[in-house]
Amino acid sequence: MNRTFGIGDRVTVKNATSMFHTRTQAYTRGKTGVVVEFRPDWVIPEDEAWGRDTPERGGREEPFYVVRFKQKDLWPNYTGFDVDTLETEVAQRWLDPAKEDAK
Amino acid sequence: MTQTHDHDHDAHGAIQSSSGVNEFEVLEQAVRELAIEKGLFSAEDHRRFSEWAESIGPSGGSKLVAKAWVDPEFNARLLADGTEACKEVAIDWLDPTGVGTPSDYTYFYVLENTPTVHNVIVCTLCSCYPRPVLGMSPDWYRTPHYRRRLVRWPREVLAEFGLHFGPDVEVRVHDSNQKSRFMVMPMRPDGTEGWTEEQLAAIVTRDTMIGVAQPKADWTATSSPSAG
Amino acid sequence: MGSTPYRILLDALDPGARAETGLPELDHTPDPWESSMQATCECLSWRGTLDNLDRRHAEDALGETLYHDFPVHTRSAVVTAHELLDRAVITEEELRARMDAVRARLTRQ
Repeated sequence: MNRTFGIGDRVTVKNATSMFHTRTQAYTRGKTGVVVEFRPDWVIPEDEAWGRDTPERGGREEPFYVVRFKQKDLWPNYTGFDVDTLETEVAQRWLDPAKEDAK
Repeated sequence: MTQTHDHDHDAHGAIQSSSGVNEFEVLEQAVRELAIEKGLFSAEDHRRFSEWAESIGPSGGSKLVAKAWVDPEFNARLLADGTEACKEVAIDWLDPTGVGTPSDYTYFYVLENTPTVHNVIVCTLCSCYPRPVLGMSPDWYRTPHYRRRLVRWPREVLAEFGLHFGPDVEVRVHDSNQKSRFMVMPMRPDGTEGWTEEQLAAIVTRDTMIGVAQPKADWTATSSPSAG
Repeated sequence: MGSTPYRILLDALDPGARAETGLPELDHTPDPWESSMQATCECLSWRGTLDNLDRRHAEDALGETLYHDFPVHTRSAVVTAHELLDRAVITEEELRARMDAVRARLTRQ
């Protein structure tokens, strides 16, 4: 699968409803960060959880990214400092290009 | 959805607290906080006791860090490909060693602390931990208390371990929610000039590689803090 | 040593709970808060507030009497708190207020 995003791109985590076994944390939904690293193409956790853990077993692989968020963008009334960040890994399907008016 | 299987999570990926908080957990923390505030002992005292009591298994990680401190080329290899570099200290992530299992995956990344970036690791979803290099995770690492709060109030949580940073240091939390496993490479402390790799490895304790402590020349976590 | 249990400590016990009656129930893997409490007890002893031996004797004595309904694995926490209260190292008001704050912190979103 083609990589949609490059290092340095600002991305927003989708607010999609997830039925089962997603590993996209609630606290990242709708939030905007920046891609800082690539991860390999992995089978998405939504398939892995059902035993489709390899492509041969029907698991869908797609690019993953390390996304870095400013903590003040993740949490209302963040009590730390402006420099603080949080990084986590997100599957391509969970990302949109950052919206122009995202905070 | 079952609460007992490690990798079943509810649709929002949140840590579901039970209907009430455990009152004994509340009591324990209240007593500890009051005791620390009244100067009966320090947060660092407590952290060191916990660390000593659970001191099994972080020797692989310690070796990696010590080697990286003395050998800049190894440092570069370690940061570029953690899984491969582990083989140089006889850790093979593909081979379950008793603490490594297939669920530990094989994407291992070392996070280098700098004077302006302090890394700390957590797994909010299920307490994933780099067991092949650090051994079993500490009890506190697995608690909702740590997992839920480190991402939200990281500086508060670090302060509970006796660690404080000013506004010029970026506290960078890594939530290992996918296949990667992380370990922090702490900065080499003052007072260790000319030390051997073995001496250096001895002060790279478990907590310094999680990110809730920094190495000190005088602390090896191999005996009780009150022993001399 | 006080002769009555403290209300703030009795309130911590789930009304339906009973102390273990058999060895199989005592084979309990420590919860993280238990391990943390053990470290607290060691620090209190090491830094001179409450000696380990005194505390263990109190655990036996009070655990069998004032706090006999509490599970064994909670004795260190309950009895240590009791001892600190008895010695006026902390007050019931302080403990209650701090427990309220901790509880709020553990449950806030």
